[in-house]
Amino acid sequence: MKRTTMPFGPQHPVLPEPLVLDLILEDERVIDAIPTIGYIHRGLEMMVERVEYTEMGFVAERICGICSFMHGMGYCVSLESIMNVEVPERARWLRVIWAEISRVQSHLLWLGLGADAFGFENLFMHCWRMREEILDIFEKTTGGRIIHSVNRIGGVKRDVSDSELAAIVVKLDELGTAFDATARVFAKDPSIRHRMSGVGVLSADDARAVDAVGPMARASGVVMDTRLSGTYGYDRLDFEPVIETAGDCLARVVVRMREVTQSIGLVRQAVDKMPKGDGMALETKPRGNPTGEVFTRLEQPRGEVLYYVKGNGTKNLERFRARTPTFANIPAMIKLVKGCELADVPNIILTIDPCISCTER
Amino acid sequence: MDRDAFLARVGEYHKEGRRLALINVTTSVPSAAPAHGAKPGAEAPGAEAAAPAPETFEIVWAFENDKDHSLETIRETVTPADAVPSISEFFGAAFLYENEMRELFGLNVEGINLDLQGQLYKTATKVPFSHAAVKARLEAVNAAAAAKATAAAAGATTEPKA
Repeated sequence: MKRTTMPFGPQHPVLPEPLVLDLILEDERVIDAIPTIGYIHRGLEMMVERVEYTEMGFVAERICGICSFMHGMGYCVSLESIMNVEVPERARWLRVIWAEISRVQSHLLWLGLGADAFGFENLFMHCWRMREEILDIFEKTTGGRIIHSVNRIGGVKRDVSDSELAAIVVKLDELGTAFDATARVFAKDPSIRHRMSGVGVLSADDARAVDAVGPMARASGVVMDTRLSGTYGYDRLDFEPVIETAGDCLARVVVRMREVTQSIGLVRQAVDKMPKGDGMALETKPRGNPTGEVFTRLEQPRGEVLYYVKGNGTKNLERFRARTPTFANIPAMIKLVKGCELADVPNIILTIDPCISCTER
Repeated sequence: MDRDAFLARVGEYHKEGRRLALINVTTSVPSAAPAHGAKPGAEAPGAEAAAPAPETFEIVWAFENDKDHSLETIRETVTPADAVPSISEFFGAAFLYENEMRELFGLNVEGINLDLQGQLYKTATKVPFSHAAVKARLEAVNAAAAAKATAAAAGATTEPKA
């Protein structure tokens, strides 16, 4: 049969960012997919050559506008590890709270984009309206809606008062109730089920074979979540990863929906467990320049992010590398696209929640 | 690097059920110029007389055990001329890292299961982490820092007295 090569992206109605795939088609069936991920590559890792390590965190959080808090946190955790800096307890809990709130806003953003992609604009508006409320919380507590710059090497820059934290918990509980109604539409609506159920199935074995991470892996029944390692305070929280087993597009939607509710619960737990009071220490100043290397792993909304940081005793790091979850999930995406119908490609690609900004770091 | 021993060890990690977490490359740039971040003139005495170190890359392969979250690493130092064997026969997802190693660092990776023929990245600078490219950028950074220091010193000497 005659083969046709069809470009998918960099501009496509379902893609907010410029992913490029060359799809090799036989009739309407995809035979192969060749990725290109350098369309907007920014060379941020290269900036360690001229940006001092104390300033590099601001670059790190600009890797992505959705996971910006966690990129900043990952960078700071890496430097704290190399430089043996003990982070004050309240600052550690504040990081957990902001990280989980980040997960909620990221999943709401993605659920909205997913709804928009399969033509459910009203659902898109509901998700993004709820996300706005999360961004309001970020603005009130960090001063920024997208780029927060609240992480410092050794802690955090700002405190959030106990009364503000209590109000955030109430707000999130209200939002969780509203989200339940929206989630029921995602889970029950026949047109959504028809579009997503049984489409783009990734088995657990395949997910392991292509080293999938995050909701992509967990929707295929793979128990994999960096938070299980118990670092950064998660060992003191009642936490079990959200697992689904169907491995299809709908399962990936369901994992993210359940994680919205779970993250709201984790914020509530963290607020309960953190030390209370005003004027507590939030930051330990690092001394000297970093020497040595470290691998740091965090569970971002899209999955495990891995930072490799190497210092050589100067003010500039020798190497800063961010292996983002979308980068790790590209092999899984290619595997899913091969053999599917052309009309299913947009939904399959969207359900890995691709962040090209992260990938093009 | 010992190709057979390397691949045997990677094969063991694969059998153990580890997953590929990262392949990282660091460009090691020997330079007569001051290291970036160091003050001009702060080099060790006699440093200029030392034999030039070879241009190398340090590659780290990191494999994670999902059960206890431990990372095992393999570390090799290679020169631009060395052949680096692909591990994509064991870990299918390695092709992405290995194509990146080729395109961003100019490494000679052999046997990638999905060879993207230099089409993975579209970058303004070809091979942006090659030794030549990194050295050129570091020299520019050092020159800019020296010019700034000179200008600051000149400004201090010409500042009018109160």
